[in-house]
Amino acid sequence: MSYNSRLSDYIQRRGFLLRVGLITGGIFLNGCYKRLKAKSYDIPGKLSGPNEKAGHLLRDKISFPKPLEHSKVKILIIGSGISGLSAGRWLKQSGETDFEILELEAHKGGNAHSGKNKDAAYPLGAHYVTVANNEDEVLMDFFKEINVITHMEKGLPYYNEFYLTFDPEERLLINGEWQEGLVPEFGVPELEKTQIKRFLAEVEELRLKKGADGKFVFNVPVSESSSDKSYLKLDLMSFKDYLDKKGFTSKYLLWYLNYACKDDYGRKISDVSAWAGLHYFASRRGLAANAERNAVLTWPQGNGWLMEQLADPLDKYIRTSSMCYQLGYTDNGKVLALVYDVNTQQNRTIEAEKVILCAPQYVNNRLLRGIKRPGVDYKELQYAPWLVANIKVSALSGGRGMGLCWDNVAYDTPSVGYVNSGQQRLNTAEDGHTLTYYLPLCDFEPAVARLAAYSRSYEQWLDIIMPELEYIHPGLTKVITNIDLWVWGHGMISPSVDLIWGDNLQQARKAIDQKIFFAHSDLSGISIFEEAFHQGIRAAKEVLKNNG
Amino acid sequence: MNNRLPALLLISVFVVATCGLIYELIAGTLASYLLGDSVTQFSTIIGLYLFSMGIGSWISKYFDKNILSWFIQIEILVGLVGGFSATILFLIFENVASFRIVLYGLVSLTGILVGLEIPLLMRILQDRFEFKDLVSKVFTFDYIGALLASLIFPLLLIPHLGLVKTAYLFGILNVVVALIVCVSFKKEIKAAAYLKSASAISILLLVAGFFYADKITSFSESLTYSDTIIYSKSTPYQRIILTKKNKVLRLFLNGNLQFSSDDEYRYHEALVHPGLQALPNAKNVLVMGGGDGLAVREILKYPQVESITLVDLDKGMTSLFQSNKILLDLNNSSLLSPRVKVINADAFTWIKAQKKQYDFIVIDFPDPSSYAVGKLYTNSFYQLVKSILSPRGLMVVQSTSPYVAPKSFWTVNTTLECVGLKTIPYHNYVPSFGEWGYIMATNPDNVYKKPAKYLPGLKFLSKESFDLMLYFPKDMAKVKTEVNKLNNQILVKYFEEEWANVL
Repeated sequence: MSYNSRLSDYIQRRGFLLRVGLITGGIFLNGCYKRLKAKSYDIPGKLSGPNEKAGHLLRDKISFPKPLEHSKVKILIIGSGISGLSAGRWLKQSGETDFEILELEAHKGGNAHSGKNKDAAYPLGAHYVTVANNEDEVLMDFFKEINVITHMEKGLPYYNEFYLTFDPEERLLINGEWQEGLVPEFGVPELEKTQIKRFLAEVEELRLKKGADGKFVFNVPVSESSSDKSYLKLDLMSFKDYLDKKGFTSKYLLWYLNYACKDDYGRKISDVSAWAGLHYFASRRGLAANAERNAVLTWPQGNGWLMEQLADPLDKYIRTSSMCYQLGYTDNGKVLALVYDVNTQQNRTIEAEKVILCAPQYVNNRLLRGIKRPGVDYKELQYAPWLVANIKVSALSGGRGMGLCWDNVAYDTPSVGYVNSGQQRLNTAEDGHTLTYYLPLCDFEPAVARLAAYSRSYEQWLDIIMPELEYIHPGLTKVITNIDLWVWGHGMISPSVDLIWGDNLQQARKAIDQKIFFAHSDLSGISIFEEAFHQGIRAAKEVLKNNG
Repeated sequence: MNNRLPALLLISVFVVATCGLIYELIAGTLASYLLGDSVTQFSTIIGLYLFSMGIGSWISKYFDKNILSWFIQIEILVGLVGGFSATILFLIFENVASFRIVLYGLVSLTGILVGLEIPLLMRILQDRFEFKDLVSKVFTFDYIGALLASLIFPLLLIPHLGLVKTAYLFGILNVVVALIVCVSFKKEIKAAAYLKSASAISILLLVAGFFYADKITSFSESLTYSDTIIYSKSTPYQRIILTKKNKVLRLFLNGNLQFSSDDEYRYHEALVHPGLQALPNAKNVLVMGGGDGLAVREILKYPQVESITLVDLDKGMTSLFQSNKILLDLNNSSLLSPRVKVINADAFTWIKAQKKQYDFIVIDFPDPSSYAVGKLYTNSFYQLVKSILSPRGLMVVQSTSPYVAPKSFWTVNTTLECVGLKTIPYHNYVPSFGEWGYIMATNPDNVYKKPAKYLPGLKFLSKESFDLMLYFPKDMAKVKTEVNKLNNQILVKYFEEEWANVL
């Protein structure tokens, strides 16, 4: 490394530390000040997040007790998020039963984790999937397995109507009124409406477009998309630059696109690639016998429900509170996992022929200390932090226009709105609602926003979210009975410029020595259920193929 | 001292007179709000009030000693009774039988107390003025007070404060007079300390009432019914209001008319008999919704029916129709029959857990005016109903008006057909509702045979009238519609559109 690059590294690092210092210092001072004065919001609730204790153990390289037990397994899966469970399901269905799944948290599920208050289940992370693209047979098979698709009708899948999102689906608070649907319309000037129409028409065309290799330009999973160079160059510019170049200037359109990027990627249009930005709109072509194209499937606990369907048959293979903190090799070339039991505080080793690492890469970076992954630059992978608030309200005041929907968004506010987690309830009687509010922390670069997020107290979060909620529903504070906050420090991978089709991820997907395999949605560059699901299957197939 | 005190007492004449008239106006207004017929209410209240004042004046001669302290005590009492009167009347209004007794009781009590005030005051003042001066001054202030009260009551108080707050405000003024008199005359009164604290506590109570008044007046919806309300209750699910005019009872749920006792037989006969008369072997019957027990009353006319299960969300509703005397007369105590089992549950969740089959199923839900109720008209719901309908059985669905809302009506029909049921739509005229629609459904391999005759004693249905009911004239003719599903809820949209033109 040259002196110059080390210097610029140093300057960047110093600038970074300065920004972190300023922000966290500000939060600390604000916290001190808040202690002095009365609380501004008197709302009961709690603040939590992924197991920080375990996370710290992993990061801080503390010394662990001497291993007491030693066991052997053929295939070891690390991580019980969707990718890990999907890999496990594939192994089991292929007749391979000699495997174990380790999870450092006390619960299964990773990002699909869900919570529960006194009255209802609610999502803490991912909360919906769309109907499958019809050529995605693997996913459709899974949907059939778990009765999400009940049968086929005239060649099209018939989706279980208890899981298709109940109507009314979406509303947007704009210019003082709730309109139906999220594309801005109410009070939008004609000229801007024309731009919005033009954009939607363009993505509609892209939706059906195929590359020179005969594959769809945008597909789910990403790996099924065309690798036609003329489209891949969209991954080399930001979505914002693309829109500028195309002459899209309408502030309503740009708000809508920013909303979409924040919703799916936790970042703004300037921070994701044009390929990723367009993928959101142009990759879904799912047709159903009994629903509109791209209809949405959801459950009270969000994708926690899908996770349970994957996890339940694998129950006896899953070990929770089991943190693998290092991987290495034994003398005879097996993989050796050092595992710490967070509950009993005992240490053990597991010897495996093969390992599927289903953790995000920033975790793998720590597990693989001393094992090289050529061409993989961990620093290039950025993860967007999120705040999720589950807000229990006793009633919800009307406002003008459309009534409560599943997805409720307000124009030009920091969050991406809230979903009504009781949408799929069958009861006619309503006894309050649990609203799941999603706030992407995208005003600073992820690393800074993350450290700031970790240092905020429950009351300080309320200071951030309550003004917006009061704006959306004047008087809401009075009817809130509880708020459960959940901070995702590393909520989802950010598909920044040159990530999805870049070398970094391509290298990161490669197995090490045909012994350590990788599966996680961050390897696709897009953090959605389908990507995690396919990543798991890809890795499981590689392992099985290698089995001989 | 001699000059100031008489002046103070004369001012209290003025306040007392104002308060007295205000209480009378409050009672009169409240009675005409709640009981209707304002001429009758006002004249009975005014008559009773003046008569009670006469009684008060007459009683005043029995007060001999300590007149000043009696006066103060009466002031406090008037303040409390008058101040809480509106609240008490609002709160006990739900209790049908005793409302008038309490109303007239309160009016008399206030009248008697107010009637006592002036004579007592005059006796207090008699040593301080000449008789002709005294009479002239007292009555002048009395009538000025009355004028003031009658002007500010309709112009300022009712629009700005409302009945309940006005009552409290004047109660407070009344007791404040007592307190001031008490403080000013403390040397002439025995037990001044006791009277002072009594008035202070009363003021506190009235002030508290004033600030909680808003909760009480949330019952203000009772002002929108033209008939006399004889029962009103908020359950966790809905607001139940029962009104009566002449002999006609009407039931409103959240302000929507559910039945009117003079023509409900047309609705319930049409709902039940075309289906059940065609099922001579029907043993088990299910009714969903219909917590009023009126459909059950019709079903109980069939001896072959062994058991009726009624599933209604609201316990408040079913227990009302199991206990209220007037309503038991109306539904023939149907919900108390040993053949009837009442289950209070949410229909969709309940039916998902059912295995037992029923020969006849009556679906009598409220109209699909909200997304919550709209779920109970979806293919997913009918699929579940179908699964518990016995192979030869029939179901019937109340399906709103095919005249006002043809798209809504035929959507229910399409939705039933799409789950693989054969439908028999029909309609009749129910004066309170207008032209009303029902849809029977059965498994496609069954042949529905129109009953050749009906039970004796029906007031509306006959073989001939049913033939007419099966025919849909051009303005209600079948239209093509989509299927109502959980994920489109088109029925709610049609329903809103179509009824918006009418309501």
